[in-house]
Amino acid sequence: MTRSRWRRRLTSGAGAYSGQVQKARAWIRRHPWQADGALAVVLLVLSSKQVTVGPVSAELAARMVNVLLAATVLARRRYPVAAFAAAAAIGAAQLAFGLQTGAPPPVAALQPTMTDLAIPVLLYTLAAYRPRRISIPGLVLCLLGSAVAITRWAPAGTAPPGGVVAAAAGLAGVALTAWVLGDSVAYRYRRAKYAAVEERAARLEAERDAQARIAAAAERARELQERRARAVDESAARLRRIERDLHDGAQVRLTALAMALGEIKENLEQTVIGDNDDDGERMRKLVGTAHANAKETLTELRDLARGIHPPVLDRGLEAALSSLAETSAVPVRLTASAIAWPSPAIEAIAYFCAAELLANVAKHSSASQAAITVSDGPGKVLVTVTDDGTGGAHLAPGGGLAGLLERVQTVDGQLDVNSPPGGPTIITIELPRQA
Amino acid sequence: MAAGLRLVIAEDAAIMRDGLTQTLTRRGHDVVAAVADGESLRQAVAACRPDVAIIDVRMPPTHTDEGLRAAQSIRRDHPEVGVLVFSQYIETQAAADLLAGAPEGVGYLLKDRVADVSDFIDAITRVAAGGTVLDPEVVRHLLRASRRGDTLASLTPREREVLSLVAQGRSNIAIASAFTISPRVVEKHVASIFAKLGLPESTNDNRRVLATIRYLKS
Repeated sequence: MTRSRWRRRLTSGAGAYSGQVQKARAWIRRHPWQADGALAVVLLVLSSKQVTVGPVSAELAARMVNVLLAATVLARRRYPVAAFAAAAAIGAAQLAFGLQTGAPPPVAALQPTMTDLAIPVLLYTLAAYRPRRISIPGLVLCLLGSAVAITRWAPAGTAPPGGVVAAAAGLAGVALTAWVLGDSVAYRYRRAKYAAVEERAARLEAERDAQARIAAAAERARELQERRARAVDESAARLRRIERDLHDGAQVRLTALAMALGEIKENLEQTVIGDNDDDGERMRKLVGTAHANAKETLTELRDLARGIHPPVLDRGLEAALSSLAETSAVPVRLTASAIAWPSPAIEAIAYFCAAELLANVAKHSSASQAAITVSDGPGKVLVTVTDDGTGGAHLAPGGGLAGLLERVQTVDGQLDVNSPPGGPTIITIELPRQA
Repeated sequence: MAAGLRLVIAEDAAIMRDGLTQTLTRRGHDVVAAVADGESLRQAVAACRPDVAIIDVRMPPTHTDEGLRAAQSIRRDHPEVGVLVFSQYIETQAAADLLAGAPEGVGYLLKDRVADVSDFIDAITRVAAGGTVLDPEVVRHLLRASRRGDTLASLTPREREVLSLVAQGRSNIAIASAFTISPRVVEKHVASIFAKLGLPESTNDNRRVLATIRYLKS
């Protein structure tokens, strides 16, 4: 039978109980002492009428035996084996000394009574609370006791055989029923416990899985962050290298070329050219144009290289911003109070943002003054660009500020625009100290 | 042409170093040493005592501002040696730092200026003669970024042009010939400019460069 079918059976079985029975069971489960006490009292009451024979001392002894037997019921939950053993011992004593076929018992006090019903109760408890290797010997003991009791009551031939068989079947049936009931409770309990353990294991496994997934995700995030930081740093380093290559290569050659052209041009200018020397004049013009073009290209190349990586950044963000402030069309006050300067890649981002913002100030704000402030917080650097212009700057899709925001976001930075109409404009850029 | 000058060149790019050496030699100057880094430059200057050291800003090992630092140490150790620093990029602060204190025999030019050979040699000659040379581009930056915009706006266009040449380290005579006006007219312009800027008038060309820079940067 599969496990799921078992479960269904168990749940439907539980559901078959009426509400009141369930309530009573619940009460009993909550008050075991009271329940067992009541049972013991019931047993004593049932047997009280049976102990009326003989002298007072015998009656007292008989009542003592009954009380002892009933008392085992009280101990059944906590000490199932000991309680059963005690009851079984009393039962055995009764068999040995409390029964005599066709005659009064040798020890009147050990006459069996209704209190002996405690024995099946204790067998039930044994089966319910203890494993089968303990409860089955208990059952066997009870069956043996039943058999002995029958032979003691009615030795072969003294009573009609049908009555003996019925009595034997009755006693054995009670013992067997008690054991089966107890055993089924134990079985159900074991199943429930097993299911709980299984469920707990499954939950733990799921939890472990979830934790492993979280750890993997965190690890992945960290890895991506590191990779991005490397990419940002590498890209900054590459731009710096390109600028240096331009400086050491193309710019140098072009400067040398422009110098050579300049010299040729000056030499040609000093050469006396005849009135009709068109070739000489043309040559002069040609060289002049080439010289002018070379100089023009040098300027363009310089602007390009500076756009790729401003060399002044090699001397740090503060020097670079100060150079930026000096060349700004709108006067700029630079306050740099950062204690720890960020990595070169971050410095480059901060520089380009400040450059763009200052260009915006000059182009759009009609400001008469601007300020750049650099400060640092834990693990981050803040660049604030303010101006006293007309305000109204905002983050429009595709606009200059949106481009800056994108640039800043490549390193998880933030850009905040505070620019009410009429000004002033305060733009704050927050960057991590490391990419 | 004036007597040939004794020059030291410090430039890490061989093609520029050789080109400069050849051009300057052809123009009758004596390039006594051509080196590629700051340390060699200091040694060459100490050994040769040239009239002018022509120095590239970016040189090994860091390729940042070795040239500037070498120039400053030369000015400290050998005040009689003129220094002409040329840079791929304009940095007004670097220029201001270089000129600060004693601007005599100091020049700061954009590297492109070598393309106009005569002007470049003129600049070397002025530095050799103890003059001050400031790149027009630096002056343009200073004028544009100056917080004294209101006062500068009160200058006439001609006065602004004159101020620009004054800041570049030109003498009145040079300014006069640049505008083909008489030196007396230039003197009047300069007097008017300095009065408007509230600066004490100086007859010393170098001093008035410094005063102008300080004014523009303040």
